[in-house]
Amino acid sequence: MTELSSTTASTPSAVPARRRRQGLVSYLARRSPLALLLVSLFLFAALFGPLLAPHSMTDTDLSQANLAPNAGYWLGTDALGRDVLSRLLGSAGVAAQAMLIVVAIGGVLGAGLGLVAGGLGGITDLVVSRVTEILQGFPTILIAIVIVALLSPSLTNAMIAVGLAAVPDFARIARSVAIQLRDREFIQAARGLGLSEIRILLTETLPNMIGPLIIIASFDGAQAIMWEAALSFLGLGVQPPAPSFGSMLRDAQNYLNINPWLAITVGVVVSAIILGLNLLGDALSDFYEMSER
Amino acid sequence: MAGYIFGRIVGGFVTLFCVSALAFFATALAPGNPAAVLLGTMASPERVEAVNKLMGLDQPLPVRYGIWLREVVQGNLGASNLSFRPVAGLIGAALPATLELAALSLILAVLISIPLGLLLAQHPNRWWTRPLSGFVTLGISVPGFWVGLLLIVVFSVWLHILPSGGFVPINRNLGGNLRSLILPTLTLVIYLTPSLVRFVRVAAATVLREDYVDTARAKGAGLGRIMLHHVVPNTLISTLTYIGLQLGLLISGAIIVEIIFAIPGIGRLGMSAVLNRDYPVIQGVVLVAAAGYVLVNLLVDLAYSLIDPRVRVR
Repeated sequence: MTELSSTTASTPSAVPARRRRQGLVSYLARRSPLALLLVSLFLFAALFGPLLAPHSMTDTDLSQANLAPNAGYWLGTDALGRDVLSRLLGSAGVAAQAMLIVVAIGGVLGAGLGLVAGGLGGITDLVVSRVTEILQGFPTILIAIVIVALLSPSLTNAMIAVGLAAVPDFARIARSVAIQLRDREFIQAARGLGLSEIRILLTETLPNMIGPLIIIASFDGAQAIMWEAALSFLGLGVQPPAPSFGSMLRDAQNYLNINPWLAITVGVVVSAIILGLNLLGDALSDFYEMSER
Repeated sequence: MAGYIFGRIVGGFVTLFCVSALAFFATALAPGNPAAVLLGTMASPERVEAVNKLMGLDQPLPVRYGIWLREVVQGNLGASNLSFRPVAGLIGAALPATLELAALSLILAVLISIPLGLLLAQHPNRWWTRPLSGFVTLGISVPGFWVGLLLIVVFSVWLHILPSGGFVPINRNLGGNLRSLILPTLTLVIYLTPSLVRFVRVAAATVLREDYVDTARAKGAGLGRIMLHHVVPNTLISTLTYIGLQLGLLISGAIIVEIIFAIPGIGRLGMSAVLNRDYPVIQGVVLVAAAGYVLVNLLVDLAYSLIDPRVRVR
């Protein structure tokens, strides 16, 4: 699904080294304070958005429609008189849900498949690799169309499609780390102790690929938020009147000539969140020494 | 070589077969009876039953899939549940706009990305490298369709110099056609370029670290010569495969851009079919888009194996 991770994580080293000695957070704070700031703000808004929202997210008031930013409505109102700031805070929570669903589906399925393929090799590897190869790069929107046609338009259904599209990203990285580790001493020692291959994969191999998987989760989390916005914009995701970045942009498109600021505000906020997650992914790649640079 | 090509073609067909089954069963299993949708809420059960029979919806699923597949192979994609017009005809009418948009955008994106990526790889430490790389990261993070909305705000709402949507067919008026495609193409180019630049930069930087580049340098070759003889050809080869993988993005992007700018392409056709539960059209659109994806990837693979013989051995 993401083109980012395919370039960034092409040469994984399963053994994160020197930088481990300083803590992850202090490393990130020095390496990419912007990423830390943006992602923290996003998570804060996602968790406490409903408590912080100054107005209702869904109550309409046509006498207050399409207002510019003012003292009562800090970011103005939309065409139905709803407070933009409150709806943005609600959208952050929706975006976080989108991210969780995608990373859960892509991470569990992908890492599982990759782990088994790389760890066991042989015919398992061949089959898994072929399947992920076919899915790799397959247009996400077609998967979304099929799934939404089968089920119905909703956040969960749209994100199941995006999660499936994310499977190859996780599978590829898990597979290559598993292959690297296959003949290392500690794996051989475990084998010598008589542990089963599956047990070795779960207790020895898996813990050693957490870093690379977190990097992919960060990049694919960014993609999840982008796809939530795109699919809800198209009407395949979050349904009105519930707020989401995509449904807000959909509303905004109909009033571009009366109230262009709505589209601009929402887009800047989504872009900032995605940028934060992408920068975080870059910084994490450096931390685990998987960067291409 | 023949074996390699054969394997690739078989793989392509297997993919298409899987997609066709998926598209068929997903839409056939979907809730909501197309006959009931078509007749409205006032229809009597007997009429719904009769229309079901007429549309062949009373048959068991595998039978319906078999019939459907046989027709598809002969180029018959069925008829729309809403307009009763043949799906193949609807797609045929919508395809030119999509293809023009996609091809134009891909060509422009490649023409911009390759020099830019090479430049960034060649000069990793100039004053402009960091801002430019930052700009690329920013570009990757901005949702493509939002850029489309911004372009409409700037060029249509504020400056009044370009249309905010609509499409003029190429055979009616070339000037109008290009004018109606400026903003959609720009949107798609801005969507595709950043990740392509990033890929080219990484690919070229990797080549620059190769031993044979050091050898060339030791023999006194200048940077320009090294770039032209070693870096560019090797980078182009890997970029070609990457473009194949990018096709998914291109197809997704083109569909979204069509919705924003009201271009009557297959994206808009498919999207309105999803919202109206017009299953034959959904199946047709998914199948045609997937076939395009598989076909172009196959061509990329074949081109790749012609340029670089090492691939065939793998």
